[in-house]
Amino acid sequence: MKREHVLGAIITAVGWLVMIIYLLPFIWMIGTSFKPIGEWGLPTLFPKVITLRNYLEVLLTGGIYGVRGHFPPIGHYLLNSLLVSICVASLTSWLGALTGYAILRYKAGGTSFANWILSLRMIPPVVVLYPLVVLTKSLALYDTLGGLILVYPLVTIPITTWFMVGSLKSVPKETEEAALLDGCTPFQVFYKITLPQATTGLATAFIFAFIFSWSEFLIPLLLAPSERAMPLTVFAAYFSNQYGILWGPLSAAAVIISIPVIVLAFLIRKYIVHGLTMGFVR
Amino acid sequence: MKPSTALILPTLAFLLILVVYPTVYLFYMMFQSFNPLLEMAPHFVGIRNFITFVNDPEAAYAIAIMLLLTAITVPAELGLGMLLGILLSSRHLHGRSILASFLLIPMSIPAVIIGLNWKMIFFTEGPLNAFLKSVGIPPQPWLSAPFGNPFNTIFCLAVLDVWQWTPFIALAVSSGIESVPAEVREAASLDGASEAQILRHVVLPMIKGVILIVLLLRVIDSLKIFDIIYMLTYGGPGSVTTTLPFYIYKVGFTLTAAHADLGYASLLAVVLLLIASILVVMVLMRVFKIERVIWE
Repeated sequence: MKREHVLGAIITAVGWLVMIIYLLPFIWMIGTSFKPIGEWGLPTLFPKVITLRNYLEVLLTGGIYGVRGHFPPIGHYLLNSLLVSICVASLTSWLGALTGYAILRYKAGGTSFANWILSLRMIPPVVVLYPLVVLTKSLALYDTLGGLILVYPLVTIPITTWFMVGSLKSVPKETEEAALLDGCTPFQVFYKITLPQATTGLATAFIFAFIFSWSEFLIPLLLAPSERAMPLTVFAAYFSNQYGILWGPLSAAAVIISIPVIVLAFLIRKYIVHGLTMGFVR
Repeated sequence: MKPSTALILPTLAFLLILVVYPTVYLFYMMFQSFNPLLEMAPHFVGIRNFITFVNDPEAAYAIAIMLLLTAITVPAELGLGMLLGILLSSRHLHGRSILASFLLIPMSIPAVIIGLNWKMIFFTEGPLNAFLKSVGIPPQPWLSAPFGNPFNTIFCLAVLDVWQWTPFIALAVSSGIESVPAEVREAASLDGASEAQILRHVVLPMIKGVILIVLLLRVIDSLKIFDIIYMLTYGGPGSVTTTLPFYIYKVGFTLTAAHADLGYASLLAVVLLLIASILVVMVLMRVFKIERVIWE
């Protein structure tokens, strides 16, 4: 018994130590976001003097640093990211549910359709982006939020579809079959019987799509080059390239951009591995 | 119309616009030449882009660097991830679920933010060099490595990807280990096997499938690495870290490469598509037994 305790203490200490060292870069950045201007470059994790100025500037006032440059507040880009992510997540969790249901219950398109959707998760998006730039330009959607909402599903449809296949699987078939015999159409069965039993799965698919949309960088870099539709990720990149020395505000912006997705990932932590492996690992 | 067709119709419409049309367009464009900075419209050049590709050392280098990055990151992620996963699934570890939640942080923050974070860390007057100096190691030029030794910069990029995705392997491995039934462990334990032996000879062989799948997913995803290159090195110094996706970006979007041309970029995109498809078709479809996962 005694030996067990010692072993437990050692393993626990090692585990926590490894985790803290692992997260040091991120912890350092959080620390830097609370540091006043003189401390930015220091390797210390915690500020000697805590200041909220970085957050105030990033969120509300913008910042002016003489020759080092000035930057606008983040609000406009935050709103862009929120709008696009919510629209894409709603749209593609619904599309994913419909398609997942069709694949699961009706074998729609057979094995090849299912394989095709799966393979789309594997193709690097840079491959198809030039044609999509041409397309959005001809539809007058280039450099608009609408254009981003049209193109992001390229990334999120395969993820939500595969996630929904997995979660709809646990919905019992029997009630559906009874309803079909009573003369309901497949759409009625889907909306009135199946989907209400898979709300957790649907919400999780929504969150997955939200996280992926929030983090998307290459698509908006190429499709929304001006201020108008620019989301947070592209803003962070420009911020870093132009005012790279302003580490305090830069860190504050990075923390603000990260917090929503970290919180959402915690909410769906039970399903993360399942979702990222397209349901092939429970 | 069959009900199944009606159900997938909305998604099909999206994929037609987002995947089928662009692919067809690429195959058309790769026989054209078009530099919007110099010309008004694309014009047909036959197989000239193919000849450019065959004689373009930058393209060959970009493919090699892309594969090198895969060859560095994936084994590192697998090794570290398995160690971390085994540690995480140890029943002696207190606060397992809290640690597992912390592991979600690197995976969930946008890659751009990870690039931004580590750009500061690697900065010549940044915290890493300040720390090294305090323990007596001279500062290193992490990102401004001289042209002669490109490996430094590639190594820095690899660190970012490994930092972000090792937790994914760790979580998959630990959930795999936890799914091994307790009876199996008990039976082995009754036969006199030590914990290390059980792990080595019973548990790990049972989760081989899980490990293979996450490994292949990492290989495939490593072909997509773009954000961290954009943030950390912008393909440089010179074009040392210009992988194929980043080369496509330079040739077709910023028009800054020597062969800047949208037709040529389309050809390069088709090459990347082929490399990814070969991996998907040859390897993944044999491992991912779709029929079994969905319909059984």
